[in-house]
Amino acid sequence: MPDIALQRPGLSRERRDALLGLLLIAPTVLVLGAVIVYPLLSAIALSFQSVYTPTLEGHWVGLANYRELLGSGGFWAALLTTAIWTAGTLTLQVLIGVAMALLLHQNIIFRSLARSLVLFPYFLSTVVAVLVWRWLFNDLYGIVNHALMTAGVIDAPVNWLGAMPNAMLSIMVVGAWKFFPFVVIAVLARLQTIPEALYEAARIDGAGPISRFFDVTLPQLRDVLTIVILLRTVWDFKEFDLIYLMTGGGPVNGTRTLPLIVYQQAFGLNQMGMAAAYAVSMMLVMLVFMLAYLQRARKAAA
Amino acid sequence: MGDLMEPERPPVSSPISRRTALGVLAGTGVAAALSGCGGSDSRTTLRWWSPQAAPDQLKSYKARIAAFEAANPTIRVVFEPTSDEGYPAQFAAAFAAKQLPNIVTHLPSFAAQNYYAEGLLEPVDDVIKAIGATQFLDGTNDIYRTADNQHCALAIGNTAVDMLWYRKDLLQAAGIAAPPKTWDELRRACQAMQKPGLYGAALPYGMNAMTSLIFIGFIHRAGGQIFTPDLGVAIDSQPTYDALEFYRSMREFCPAGASNFSWGESLTAFVSGATATGIYGGRVLANVAAQNPAIADAISCTVYPTMSAAIPAWTFNDFPCLMIPKGAPHLAETKVFAAALYQPEFYIQQLHAAPGHVLPVLKSVPADPRYQANTLIARYPAEIDLMTRTAATGHNLGQETSAHRPNLKANEIIASNAIAELVQRVVLNNEAPKPAVAATAKRLAELMRA
Repeated sequence: MPDIALQRPGLSRERRDALLGLLLIAPTVLVLGAVIVYPLLSAIALSFQSVYTPTLEGHWVGLANYRELLGSGGFWAALLTTAIWTAGTLTLQVLIGVAMALLLHQNIIFRSLARSLVLFPYFLSTVVAVLVWRWLFNDLYGIVNHALMTAGVIDAPVNWLGAMPNAMLSIMVVGAWKFFPFVVIAVLARLQTIPEALYEAARIDGAGPISRFFDVTLPQLRDVLTIVILLRTVWDFKEFDLIYLMTGGGPVNGTRTLPLIVYQQAFGLNQMGMAAAYAVSMMLVMLVFMLAYLQRARKAAA
Repeated sequence: MGDLMEPERPPVSSPISRRTALGVLAGTGVAAALSGCGGSDSRTTLRWWSPQAAPDQLKSYKARIAAFEAANPTIRVVFEPTSDEGYPAQFAAAFAAKQLPNIVTHLPSFAAQNYYAEGLLEPVDDVIKAIGATQFLDGTNDIYRTADNQHCALAIGNTAVDMLWYRKDLLQAAGIAAPPKTWDELRRACQAMQKPGLYGAALPYGMNAMTSLIFIGFIHRAGGQIFTPDLGVAIDSQPTYDALEFYRSMREFCPAGASNFSWGESLTAFVSGATATGIYGGRVLANVAAQNPAIADAISCTVYPTMSAAIPAWTFNDFPCLMIPKGAPHLAETKVFAAALYQPEFYIQQLHAAPGHVLPVLKSVPADPRYQANTLIARYPAEIDLMTRTAATGHNLGQETSAHRPNLKANEIIASNAIAELVQRVVLNNEAPKPAVAATAKRLAELMRA
């Protein structure tokens, strides 16, 4: 049918196929252009302007926003904080996620129920999760302090969210709790495809459980873990709501990551241009991870 | 207009204008006629935002909305809660997206001045006229007067935000005869009352608006100010250092979690009985009655102590107001609804929803038997009277004293957390006050220039 529809004198078959290809891909290009390219270009354009958020009125300032941003200690401190948060919570997510996936791969009772329940934190609204965790961490009424004091581990309530490094450790734990199910899903799916023959061969060679994990399971998980780590790095790097609601960036600037600064610049200080400069800078950092992901995906496909 | 729109209620005072009223009537009439053509709700929708949205307040708003909608079948009012901490972001996003609420209540006066200066608010002089300018307590609306001699907002209440709440029983048990009047007395009282399971105070040390707003009061109570009357940065002065020293010395009397306290946590700490003193507005009364009635007879409040008896008290009143964003549709209907919020029956109902917290700004209300009939207002007459008098002479960063020019950057200064950060650096990080204050002064100067 396309041949008939596009048949015109003077057009070769290859040319017609090329035109048809363009026609078919056009809607996708248009949609992607509208939802990705246009906002991206707008953000970059905004970053070269001084814009008052409520009215979106502003003027061109060139590289002034970037000069101010890179010259201030705030950006670099927040970048470091973001890196610490990302590395910390990601490590916990991977460790807990792999451990849980290994557990759920065993023949345990209520395995199906456990596999369903483990996804619960991932599906829970962040606002609800944060409210619950803030309550757990509360120094006056929280069960964490109460349990530790009852057990005699501590004498006085610990300030989990208002002192460093407790605040950073607390949000890392909550982040790990919230997002480890993603690791579980991916790793569990891969575990189910590892040929049993590999384990049998390892057993014949006298490998114990630990050796089997490091010599068989882990190498088989390498590809999926690489993708999971790259994706979660990008997502954790730009995590906003969990940190904002847990600590607001405090104490002082101890948990103030780059997304929190973007929010404050845009909507607290009404400086949308500067917020865009921060966001573009974040994007450039994340671009490194994205390129690594693309390279990895290309290699896997090959 | 009020009489045309709501025949069941007498007008508060002279109506807006006959022309406006007829316009609204015609508009709603056309809307009513058109409503027969479609199956969906074709009423004119007014969106109302407020951060004051406790359950009892919501109930009073619903009653007001229901009565208004019954009298104006072509208008629908939708209430949407915002928050004290989050409104600048919500406002900025709403303006940027041109998804404006029609009416906003209970935001501080400096927010109104800030938004009006940026051309984002409608003047509300005709709403004041509709209610009757003389109906308001003298001078109540002065803080909303603008450079072009209009009003950017009108008062919907007063709040004495930083009263010192204390437990009479605990003071007595500690052998203290009278509530503290100076910082030294307060510190001694907290020390005497503190014991395992009970802290002396509930001051905020979090990285948030509450810490900024509360600490500004401490600088004033040390005899200082954030800005000079002509808005030069004045924070780098001895009173600020004195305030920081005192605030740091109070940390040992506050719960460990105070370094993350905002309004809710600070209030709950006192109401639950975890602290012997608290710093808050009149909402304490309702919350104690509902959540911890066992201490209801033991609580009272006074103005927050100053560094020395020679320094006059300074009370933070956020001057909760009503404002109308420019560019929102249905302006005439919005103004009618705005005026309707002040009809005594419903206005008193709103005040009763947070007794002592939102204090009346209409002259007739304090002596109105309907207002006095509230259980909590009847139970705590001395506290309500003190808060009413104190709030009337209160100030905020938008106008630190009567001699100050309105500070149109106050909103951004609070949202920047610059002052909360100063508190955290000195108190939590134990940094030297001099460089921390100097950095804050520099930051404030940048914000004023921005």
